[in-house]
Amino acid sequence: MNLSEAGVSRVNGYLFVLERSLKTFLPPDVVRDAVREIESHVRERIAAVDGAGDERSALEKILAELGPPLRVAQAYSVERTIDEAILTGHLVPMFSAVWRLAVTTMVGFGAALGIFAGFVISFAFLAIAVMKPLFPDNVGLWVNNESGIPHDFGMRFPAPVDEHVILGYWVIPISLFAGLLFLVLNYRGTKRFLIWWRNRRLS
Amino acid sequence: MSHETWQEQLRRGTLDLAILLTVSAIPRYGLAIIQHLEAFTDLVVTEGTIYPILGRLTREGLLEAKWVEHEAPHPRKYYKLTRAGAKRLADMKTEWQAFVTKIDRLMDAAENEA
Repeated sequence: MNLSEAGVSRVNGYLFVLERSLKTFLPPDVVRDAVREIESHVRERIAAVDGAGDERSALEKILAELGPPLRVAQAYSVERTIDEAILTGHLVPMFSAVWRLAVTTMVGFGAALGIFAGFVISFAFLAIAVMKPLFPDNVGLWVNNESGIPHDFGMRFPAPVDEHVILGYWVIPISLFAGLLFLVLNYRGTKRFLIWWRNRRLS
Repeated sequence: MSHETWQEQLRRGTLDLAILLTVSAIPRYGLAIIQHLEAFTDLVVTEGTIYPILGRLTREGLLEAKWVEHEAPHPRKYYKLTRAGAKRLADMKTEWQAFVTKIDRLMDAAENEA
């Protein structure tokens, strides 16, 4: 079937929306390749349609079977960003994938909050390890002078008069260990979440 | 889990295997892959979402993609299995056959007990 001007416009409109959606998260060369492949698919389908039929309904059927451009783009998004994160294991693609899920889904938002909290805790422990040698009387496990009960682990400026720090410089290895442990667990948790998400991807 | 959700998970879980099988003997382009899958299975629900999966399998090194310009009035992107893809496919086939055998055995046992 040879398309009329209206038919060509309809196909171009579909490809335009797809391209714009893909551009938000894919590199330009990948977008070009993806749009070219979808265009090839549409043209192939159109060429196979009997020219005597109704062009509009035939074209709508082809585009409906292909799927709405936003859904196709979403499938690319899920496959691309999450795969890159899982395959490379690098932090930037992982954060990018989590961010993308956080802004598009409720489950992703909840997971991103948990992951963010995990990293904050990790860096708080590491900060304690760094600050202890600089401010030995302000950083450590805080104990009330009267009760002798430890109740807080961290930094305080100025140091309260009715409390003091214990553990001395043991705070440094303890904080380093805890910070690194949280970092590793959080990293593994993030990766597992992305793998779990990929397994339920759109297809 | 509803029956539809279970069916959907089954479909998604087998789609990679089905695509690798489709290009195992001869290279095929996107629409030809879809048509082949449609001829033998009902795994393709939305045609456009097959392409991102082909892209992922290519990035994973299981497929190799190549544009062919002059075969048709429009260019076609052909996919073929790589050596890594052939090995993965062989592993998947073995696992699939073992899985089906076990489930069949379980179903026979259930029927015999009934």
